[in-house]
Amino acid sequence: MLKVLILCAALTYSVPVLALDGAELLKTVDRNLAPPSYEMYRKLINIEPDGRKKEFVLFTVKKGKDKVAALFISPPSERGRSTLRLGDNMWLYIPNVGKPVRITSLQSVVGGVFNNSDIMQLDYHAEYDVTRVEAQGKDYLLHLKAKTKTVAYDQLKMWVHKETVLPTRIECMTEASMLIKTLYFKNIQDFGGEIARPSVMETDSPLYKGYKSIMLFANIRERELRDEVFTLTFMPNLDSLR
Amino acid sequence: MFLLNLPCIAVLLLFLTLALFSADCPAREYTFELDKIEKKPYHLGGYAEINPILFGLNKDAALYKINFYDRDEGSTVEKYDMTLQLDGSYEKGIARAFVRANGNLNHTYEGWSGKTTLYEGVLSLRPSPSLSVDIGKKTMKWGKGYAWNPVAFLDRPKDPNDPALALEGFFVATLDYIRSFGGPLKTFSFTPALVPVYGDMNEDFGETGHFNVAAKFYLLFLDTDIDFMFLSGDSKSPRYGADFSRNLTSNFEIHGELAWIKDFRKSFIDRDGKLFETRSDVWSYLAGIRYLTARETTYILEYYHNGTGFTEGEMRDYFSFVEKGYDMYLSTGDDTLLTGAVNLTEGRYGTMNPMRNYLYLRISQKEPFDILYFTPALTWIFNLDDQSFSLSPEVVYTGITNLELRLKGTVLAGDCFTDYGEKQNDYRIELRARYYF
Repeated sequence: MLKVLILCAALTYSVPVLALDGAELLKTVDRNLAPPSYEMYRKLINIEPDGRKKEFVLFTVKKGKDKVAALFISPPSERGRSTLRLGDNMWLYIPNVGKPVRITSLQSVVGGVFNNSDIMQLDYHAEYDVTRVEAQGKDYLLHLKAKTKTVAYDQLKMWVHKETVLPTRIECMTEASMLIKTLYFKNIQDFGGEIARPSVMETDSPLYKGYKSIMLFANIRERELRDEVFTLTFMPNLDSLR
Repeated sequence: MFLLNLPCIAVLLLFLTLALFSADCPAREYTFELDKIEKKPYHLGGYAEINPILFGLNKDAALYKINFYDRDEGSTVEKYDMTLQLDGSYEKGIARAFVRANGNLNHTYEGWSGKTTLYEGVLSLRPSPSLSVDIGKKTMKWGKGYAWNPVAFLDRPKDPNDPALALEGFFVATLDYIRSFGGPLKTFSFTPALVPVYGDMNEDFGETGHFNVAAKFYLLFLDTDIDFMFLSGDSKSPRYGADFSRNLTSNFEIHGELAWIKDFRKSFIDRDGKLFETRSDVWSYLAGIRYLTARETTYILEYYHNGTGFTEGEMRDYFSFVEKGYDMYLSTGDDTLLTGAVNLTEGRYGTMNPMRNYLYLRISQKEPFDILYFTPALTWIFNLDDQSFSLSPEVVYTGITNLELRLKGTVLAGDCFTDYGEKQNDYRIELRARYYF
């Protein structure tokens, strides 16, 4: 009897969910996090082991599956810098230099645990396939595999709350299943316009022991944008969108 | 030591105090004050910088003899540079006005001097994301190269020792027209430019009294940035160019530039100072790579061929002429030849990279040994024609918000009658403290 009870508990805690469409679930997660095209403000906070911190404020616009642009508003040393992602291409524009240069997703223009891929995040369903879905208590556990080698993290384990269909935690891993970083989604907030999502994302990494980075979200609004906004030529003019 | 000069210390302390008060507090509850990010129609910002420099003079060098033939400043000279760069903008509707002014005050062995320059002053109209019109003084920054840009037809040459410095622009009228597509051609943009050169306006662009036309076509095609450009008009020789940039892998980028200058007029002298002039079509080009390792070491390697540059023989003739002038001054006190050499040096033989073939290598390491906000780098510029070179190690520290500290040294090496061997200095050491606001 005891063995039966233990077996039932194990199955309840982690059960492959055969009937659930993982791809549709992932698309729902993406739409619950943000509309397909939007604008938003974010504050990135890098916290060092001694407690000191550096803060950056960005204005971000996104359109469709593969277009993201971000503009640094503060601090003054970074103001005017912008990054653009168009599919697999990523550029950084520095006002003094005056022309965009190509950058990689694994670099970080702000330092800390977040890298360019985290800052210029596309929809998860655009970059990942769902290989398996499990039920774990109040969450679904989605196992994600990158669609191409150009994606920053080869594998993700995403815990999605069953009721809200929002992520609570994501583990980012290499092809060899080595943990690179963990993202924690907290403080669900109603941003209006039917957007209710975590307003805080924290991250830590075994590769950066003692360091923590936090992303705060604000003013997320659905917004239609022209494709021409997401071009190299427009990068110096991103501030005109605010 | 010169870096311990009292005014420098005072200014550095002021920078540090301002920076420490303005940022870097212990972590507290995370807040996001939305009123602080509300956009205002105006903005004023910029940076203040102090830059003391120590130069070690090369008393055997031709360029030393030209500049110091009638004075002895010892084996070193100092320069104290202070800069205030202000950026201001105002927006209303589809219009935006932007101004960038650079004020510099410096003290050298010749005393105090100062200069304020309008780097940019532009009125922009942006009726839509696809279309914008700019009129005023601005930089165009064409090209994909890091240290050099043979296709930067509308810009002043940048300093390969400090390619990220802001430059003074030219008065232009430009238009940007952008289109996006869904297929292999993702983006197309067209940027025509008008460059008038009359009177004082753009007088250092080229021959005055002409109206010049230029244009650039940009494509993002199969994940490759491609540009085609041209400059036409009588202020400069007509020129045509192309460039590209592409990631071969996510951490490995290649880029290149090619320029064809039609009927380029080149002046040079023989060892007796007799002036010659030739006219020919010349090619200039650049090929480069940028590679980022897993340990966040960045390598930038570029080869530059400057078709308008001097050959090794032409440079030797120039240096011989300077030696001849110096010998004449020493023996007779007559500095006529040296004065003539000064005129030849400015804008020609004395430019930063006056010869034909150069190699550039820059290696930078982000936060080695986990030292936060600390970035050492090494830059090597090698003259392939005469094997002379410059080597510049530097360290940059950005641990205090809005404050950037850079300590940089440069050593020049080369035989007699070589590019770097005949520069005025053997070495330089500088500390730059820049505070952004």
